[in-house]
Amino acid sequence: MPAKKHPKIESRAQNFARALQQVFGRGFGPGFWLAVVWLLIVAFCALFADWLPVRDPLDPVIANRLNGPFTSNLLGADGLGRDIFARLIHGARVSVVIGLTAVSIGMLIGGALGIIAGYFRGHFERALMAVLDVILAFPWLVLLLALVAFIGQSLFAISVAIGFLWIPAYARVARANTLSVVQREYVLAAKAMGASTSRILIKEVLPNVILPVLAYGLVAMGLVIIVESALAFLGLSVEAPQPTWGGMISEGKRHLATAVHVAVIPSVTMFLTVLSLNFVGDRLRSRFDVKESNL
Amino acid sequence: MTNTSEQATPLQLRNRDDIVLRLEHLVVNFKVGKQTVQAVSDVSLDVALGETLGLVGESGCGKSTVGRAIMQLPPPSAGRVLFKGQDLSNMSGEALRQTRTGLQMIFQDPISSLNPRRKVRDIVAEGLQIWRRPNQDARVREVMEAVGLDPDTVADRRPHQFSGGQCQRICIARSLALDPDVLICDEPVSALDVSVQAQILNLLEDMKQRYQLTMVFVAHNLAVVKNVSDRVAVMYLGKLCEIGNAEAIYARPAHPYTRALLASIPDMDPDARGQQGKIPLLQGELPSPANPPSGCRFRTRCPNAQARCAEVEPVMQAVADSMTPDHFVACHYPL
Amino acid sequence: MRQSEHKESNASLLQVSNLSIRLNSAAGLVHAVEDVSFTLKAGQTLGIVGESGSGKSVMARSLMNLLPRRAVAQRKGSVLLSGREISTLSERELQRLRGPDIAMIFQDPMTALNPVLTICVQVSEPLQQHLGMSKQAARARAIELLDAVGIPDAVNRIDQYPHQLSGGMRQRVVIAIALTCNPSLLIADEPTTALDVTVQRQILDLLTGLQKERHMGMLLITHDLGVVASRADFIAVMYAGRLVEVAPANTIFKSMQHPYTEALFNSIPRINDASHTRLQAIPGRPPQLHNPAPGCAFAPRCPYAQQRCHRETPPVVQAEQAEHLHACFYPVSAPVALGGVR
Repeated sequence: MPAKKHPKIESRAQNFARALQQVFGRGFGPGFWLAVVWLLIVAFCALFADWLPVRDPLDPVIANRLNGPFTSNLLGADGLGRDIFARLIHGARVSVVIGLTAVSIGMLIGGALGIIAGYFRGHFERALMAVLDVILAFPWLVLLLALVAFIGQSLFAISVAIGFLWIPAYARVARANTLSVVQREYVLAAKAMGASTSRILIKEVLPNVILPVLAYGLVAMGLVIIVESALAFLGLSVEAPQPTWGGMISEGKRHLATAVHVAVIPSVTMFLTVLSLNFVGDRLRSRFDVKESNL
Repeated sequence: MTNTSEQATPLQLRNRDDIVLRLEHLVVNFKVGKQTVQAVSDVSLDVALGETLGLVGESGCGKSTVGRAIMQLPPPSAGRVLFKGQDLSNMSGEALRQTRTGLQMIFQDPISSLNPRRKVRDIVAEGLQIWRRPNQDARVREVMEAVGLDPDTVADRRPHQFSGGQCQRICIARSLALDPDVLICDEPVSALDVSVQAQILNLLEDMKQRYQLTMVFVAHNLAVVKNVSDRVAVMYLGKLCEIGNAEAIYARPAHPYTRALLASIPDMDPDARGQQGKIPLLQGELPSPANPPSGCRFRTRCPNAQARCAEVEPVMQAVADSMTPDHFVACHYPL
Repeated sequence: MRQSEHKESNASLLQVSNLSIRLNSAAGLVHAVEDVSFTLKAGQTLGIVGESGSGKSVMARSLMNLLPRRAVAQRKGSVLLSGREISTLSERELQRLRGPDIAMIFQDPMTALNPVLTICVQVSEPLQQHLGMSKQAARARAIELLDAVGIPDAVNRIDQYPHQLSGGMRQRVVIAIALTCNPSLLIADEPTTALDVTVQRQILDLLTGLQKERHMGMLLITHDLGVVASRADFIAVMYAGRLVEVAPANTIFKSMQHPYTEALFNSIPRINDASHTRLQAIPGRPPQLHNPAPGCAFAPRCPYAQQRCHRETPPVVQAEQAEHLHACFYPVSAPVALGGVR
């Protein structure tokens, strides 16, 4: 008995439009889109900071010292008379680079370990989880300080150090998702078909694990930015005079009594960015979860 | 337990040339915590070319485990699985992957057996891609049309756009793509609505004719099993209770457990109200498979149990006055 | 106490009239229940049969107002329980109804029980809350109830946790909880679907036995005609949110009026048919419930459909026999032979 055909054949374009709508169209609300727009602006600034028509972030103009917003400088100037707006834009680069690199390192290594542990189980899984638990139990700041002291204070070194800290979290997320995917019968069906283990991992497991891991990555990126600012506060982030948001807040604290804006403006920028990352990551994650359970 | 060659050939295995699938002394153990649970315990049966064997029993009786052990997913703990004379349980790696393409499987939950992130075309073509078969597109079109799906509208969609019945059609198409000899169906219709169930059962019968399939049909619904099966095997707590021609077993069950199963089917005739008490219903609980009763495993719930049932485990014996030959029962006091 | 009230109010325990429920969903408004009316008398069982997505569970939940408030876009019609309108009650008033007046049993006994509380706590809690019993008295009563639902060794089992019980035993506990406050109406939503055939039979026997003994009204919701055939007094067949046929159980199988009832009945494999008997499948699949097309929802799959069926929605009308209602312009008139159907 043939199944009833679909009443109308949809064109590829319609199909695509509907798929887009399913992922992004309904239920996200304006807040989600505002967050996305903010993140796009931050990413744009980070990419094109050198070409944007802003002042030199490193040029101290003594006359402008601690000027408030909308005076000589759009968002005021800091204790050395440097333009805060320009420094924010150039500082975005550090936040974005550290965020992306650290998250990628964590995601690649942690994700791969998690998938392997979840798929093969056994001794490897037990050993890995034990090691990860030890790392998680270690005070992260101490570990980070040790790592930075060991590999140095360059942008890359700091990214690697923070990324290392994130491996356990990603491994856990990837492992949990892999465990649930492996129980699905399509994995069994692929085995029955003669699929090799690598094919099963790449074609069946990975596509189902990667989306929740990516969504988690956005949330993690927000935390990475905060971790960077904590390092900056301790003077262990990227070395001066390179502007970073964390460094700017740290410098601003000296002027809190006289010129609040020096610390507040980078704080608000960072707050909005982290909030946006969490918001977008969370919404995407719940969307993927719903899709799983809806199936 | 591992050396099966010393054990006598079980009586219920038929001596025929056209046996496609033969299980000898199949044992499957699972580790639950520190305990080892025998999910399947010394099951021997065979399926002849073009035959459908129905495997019935309550949940936890090991029927699905048998289906998967045939596929070596996971391989049995002991015993042999012979597919066209080749011992699958002795093969490993590449040889097993090759030979196993002759056996395919469909599952209970059609939605969980389709990868939500892949297109229907890729799902159906999976086996062909793995084995780099020629003319993949043509073959995919052919099997999709065979199961009643329109390749032009369906191929580029993803599984969540389909109903359960259509997903099961996709699963059937995928399993047929590699042109298997044996199709193992693990509760293929129990997640489907009544009206769709009939469509899928008819489709399976059509596919069996069209592609000369031999089938193992695992299900708990006795009416469904009877509809598709030539032979039926009844399992209880990992053991085979009774095996024989479907009509014979349903008309004259020889094992008290088979009779009890048949008696618990809900009656479609409202006038039969109150007549259901003729056959005693099963009492009590299914014993734990970790600690099965001694002797006959069914004795704790059997209305006919005697002292001997607790001491001696019954072996398979031919049913004396059955309607058909090849009807066997493992009971000291068959009905 | 409550028993005597019931016997007097033999008129109607539950009267649902023109109930319509629309639910919000990503794809738009879902017409889950459309213009459903029926009456249930005390001490009777009404079997509601429908496939998944037919709206039977939504309807059952709406009777107890258990649908998530955000999901319900629109609700029309009235639900009278012992003559009292309950669809307009506040959440607090409803809570007082649940238990003493209506109780419900769900499909999955594992999720219906709280895994971290002992059976004793779960059974005796409503006794203490609704009936104001002391802890000791509630425990004693709980043991009695577990005994009544056929749990062997109830005295010892009462302190176990749900995961220590089998599926059938868990469903018995769920039934015991439903019975704690002597409900006048019991709604059983697919109570045996998750259970094995042999256990299913035990649970159904238990339910019908308790229902007779306590003179409860029971709504038995299922997808399986076989489950209700020999147990319900009335059978209602639901399709695409509407009741398409309602009749006494012994009438409906002998003279089906609606083509869907007939098709459903014919599509079920029979144990008495020979192996490989071709099944009479219903072509197509159940309709989507958002933006329903005009006309009879079954028309696209119906072998007897005429032009009119695709244009107009057939109203519910009376068939020849008393108490037999159907919604079809061209009812299947020929009575179905019943010889040995099982």
